[in-house]
Amino acid sequence: MATGNPVKPHRWGMVIDLDRCTGCEACVVACHAENNIGMSDPEEAARGRVNHWIRVDRYYEGEFPDVKVKYQPVLCQHCDEAPCEPVCPVNATYHNPEGLNVQVYNRCVGTFYCANNCPYTVRSFNWFDPKWPEPMQLQHNPDVSIRPGGVMEKCTFCIQKIKRVEEQAHAGSRPVADGEVQPACVQSCPAEAMVFGDLNDPDSKVSRFAGDGRATKLMEELGTKPKVIYLEKAR
Amino acid sequence: MERRNFFKILSTASAGALATGCGTDTDKLIPLLVPEQDLIPGVEYWHPSVCTSCSSGCGVVARVMDGERIIERSTEGKTEKLRQRLAAVKKLEGNPLDQVSGGRLCARGQAGVQALYNPDRLRGPLKRSGVRGEATFQPISWKEAIAEAADQLMKVKNEGADRIALVTGTVSSTRSLALRGFAKAIGAPEPLVCSVASHAAERKAAEIALAWQGLPFYDIANARHILSVGADFLGGWVSPVNYARQFGAFRQARTEIRGYLAHAESRLSITAAAADQWLPLKPGSEAQFLGAVGRILLELNLAPKAATLPPPVLAAFQALDLASFIAATGIEERKLRAAVEQLGRSEGPLVLAGASTIHTNSVDAIVASHYINMMLGTIGTPGGMQAPPKSAIDPLTAVKFSESLAQARAIILDEANPLYTAPKAAHVRESLMKAGFVLSFATTLDDSAAWADIILPAHHALEGELAVAPATAAHLSLAMGGSFVQPLYDTQSVPATLAAIASVMKVTFQPATAKEIAEPLLPKDLTWETVVREGGFHVEAAALVTPAARTKKAPKAAAPLRAVSFSAAKFEGDGPFLLQPYLSPQHHEGASANLPWLQECPDPASSAVWSLPVEIDPVTAQRLGIATGDNVKLESASGSITAPAYIHPGAVPGVLSMAIGGGHQHFGRFASGRGVNPLEILALAYEPATGDLATGATRVRLTRVGPGKDLIQYSAHDKEERPHGHR
Repeated sequence: MATGNPVKPHRWGMVIDLDRCTGCEACVVACHAENNIGMSDPEEAARGRVNHWIRVDRYYEGEFPDVKVKYQPVLCQHCDEAPCEPVCPVNATYHNPEGLNVQVYNRCVGTFYCANNCPYTVRSFNWFDPKWPEPMQLQHNPDVSIRPGGVMEKCTFCIQKIKRVEEQAHAGSRPVADGEVQPACVQSCPAEAMVFGDLNDPDSKVSRFAGDGRATKLMEELGTKPKVIYLEKAR
Repeated sequence: MERRNFFKILSTASAGALATGCGTDTDKLIPLLVPEQDLIPGVEYWHPSVCTSCSSGCGVVARVMDGERIIERSTEGKTEKLRQRLAAVKKLEGNPLDQVSGGRLCARGQAGVQALYNPDRLRGPLKRSGVRGEATFQPISWKEAIAEAADQLMKVKNEGADRIALVTGTVSSTRSLALRGFAKAIGAPEPLVCSVASHAAERKAAEIALAWQGLPFYDIANARHILSVGADFLGGWVSPVNYARQFGAFRQARTEIRGYLAHAESRLSITAAAADQWLPLKPGSEAQFLGAVGRILLELNLAPKAATLPPPVLAAFQALDLASFIAATGIEERKLRAAVEQLGRSEGPLVLAGASTIHTNSVDAIVASHYINMMLGTIGTPGGMQAPPKSAIDPLTAVKFSESLAQARAIILDEANPLYTAPKAAHVRESLMKAGFVLSFATTLDDSAAWADIILPAHHALEGELAVAPATAAHLSLAMGGSFVQPLYDTQSVPATLAAIASVMKVTFQPATAKEIAEPLLPKDLTWETVVREGGFHVEAAALVTPAARTKKAPKAAAPLRAVSFSAAKFEGDGPFLLQPYLSPQHHEGASANLPWLQECPDPASSAVWSLPVEIDPVTAQRLGIATGDNVKLESASGSITAPAYIHPGAVPGVLSMAIGGGHQHFGRFASGRGVNPLEILALAYEPATGDLATGATRVRLTRVGPGKDLIQYSAHDKEERPHGHR
């Protein structure tokens, strides 16, 4: 693996500041644009077959006029103890050396075990072969493979972008700079609510935010050890 | 087909002038239209351009790589399919050098690439072949189409050019400038803006209160305590990307300071959701709310600059009947007073008011907000409200269009879809039917273009040269892009089309280029080549004008055009509910409803995909026996619509909100016949100072029709709402 830092492998993580997040869903569209996610049609959507690798959960609390809404972007948490990994009978989902929970599409036989076991319900299944009416395929990102029907897929932390940056850093014999890798959602976020970086680097922004008093993890009590850290809305 | 034929590769058009990419290590100089031999598979190029999906004018960068499409070519009566290799846009991101987007982009902006590669784009000029409105067309050559358009316009011009109506949208660009120039050249009236997001009320209020021309710029990032009223500034208001960027900084970019946002609006918008406190207003009570805010600030002695107010304004705030104003807002007095006191005691207060929903008194409300900023001393200060800079391209401001349209003998439509954005009561359909000639520059057949006699399809914004002046910005600025991908179809830029028509009409008209607009504004150290490379420029006022000139341009606060008034909003029709159509982050005015990424982007309020529901409060829903997903009928004096219901825990009782975006009759495969359009049944009520359509002034009746299947939710708060569990 080409890493810019030969001493210590990266351990990629993300911080999402809910005090900045506006719930605008720019991240949702950015993810589709980057990752060639299949489009649904209304009939498939009505069956619950819309694929999103990142979604914005909304929680309503209280009654009118004291209603609060909480928006929370949820993507694969890239758990260190990922419940989806040990259940895959064909080893299609595994942990890579940089801490990413990755999916090998051409191993996947669509057993659904991983999705059933994911407490965050962030895995999406291709119920059908994706269709892009001519000339919509011109938009496809050549760095990301197209997944056929019957295959489970999920957020990769934009591994193709990580690789590109790592290769550039390697070619320049320099370490990857903090903030140099920006997954599509992080790049697009108008409120700059999302930060991505190396949790192994104590000086990285994500490491510093991880120690913030507002830092929490989603369903941490399950022991999944997520690598997405949320900063709670300040009160 | 033979394998050899299938793999035959057509070369793309050859080089034009030179421009550079910008951004990353992979940059290099490449021609504007990329020759095939220069397309290295897997190598990315970044080109600056500009987004036109709203009037914000975000500078963008497009990631360009090689792509392939299948085209058909007929030679000697034989049609063969060929694979064409060409430079393709893969992704749009904000241009980091642009002061509006700052490298970020909203959902609609990013989906712009799906408009470029939309399968329903028009392939070339069309001429109506059936009855007008039937939307049956036959292809026609550009030469014939231009000749016919010129001939028809000439006929009307000879009878009286004032009967030619040009209708356009809100984007101030070289395209809108060309339209304005063309209108002038042929003697037609100034183009009319047909939009529910023209921000005419905001412009008028700044002119009335402060003699400012343009939209004020709010320095949110440096404020400490914001009271926003009626402006969904993170969602569908002016410049959502810029204000969301500033909002992020307002909240968490400063050590020791976290900005506090209180938001008063008659809908739980995404701005209300992000706010620390939401004050749910009764619709149309923004003016009374702001009157009360001003009065309480004065009472509490928290208006340090009250002396700078024009005396009639101060007197108006002091004379208003506070108790009745507070009662009109529907907000508990204790809460309102606490919110005002918090604002007044802040070291960096700012009041930001707008009309996301336009009422008949919106200008009054926004004028009041400006005077509150004046009494707080936040005009022109860091963290306050800034005067608009000079605009590189003046926006079009005439918004009252239905009468002109009714009298028009010839109608020219560009970047506007009046049949969709105007209510049925405006009789746009009848005007289009009655007109002698209708010309459209649509890229995709839309509701209004379906009524055209001739369609001369425009390039997509990424295919041609375009410069856009942002609706609001801190400094004079222009975002622009050149043509770096080959136009996919037989289309033409609108300025070029207008010039061609003018030439046949023997009228002198030369559209201004971005260079001609920009060069006189550039400071000495900024060259045109730099501007092209960076995708635009911004110039701070200090660099633009001499100090003396700046003093002259300072707000004329001492000489307002009129005093403040707090008129009550008027509502039309009968019925116990108010209809509140709104601009959602994903669909805005409905012009992006044909993009699948936005159709399947869950609605922030209801999580609806491929559908948009009416938001109903739980008490009303229970009283009428309505459940989420049921079909309900909304009936106004001018018609009715049937839409799915969503029981919204935060809906203001008595207010039925619905996002604009559904109900297109003609708008390609992804939007045609999908959902309903809430604008359709609005009453013809206008904001009197601007003539802008009051979108929140219609009373409706609500009845349950029965169970429905039209609401598709991506996720819902309880499983019962989603019969099929798998995501």
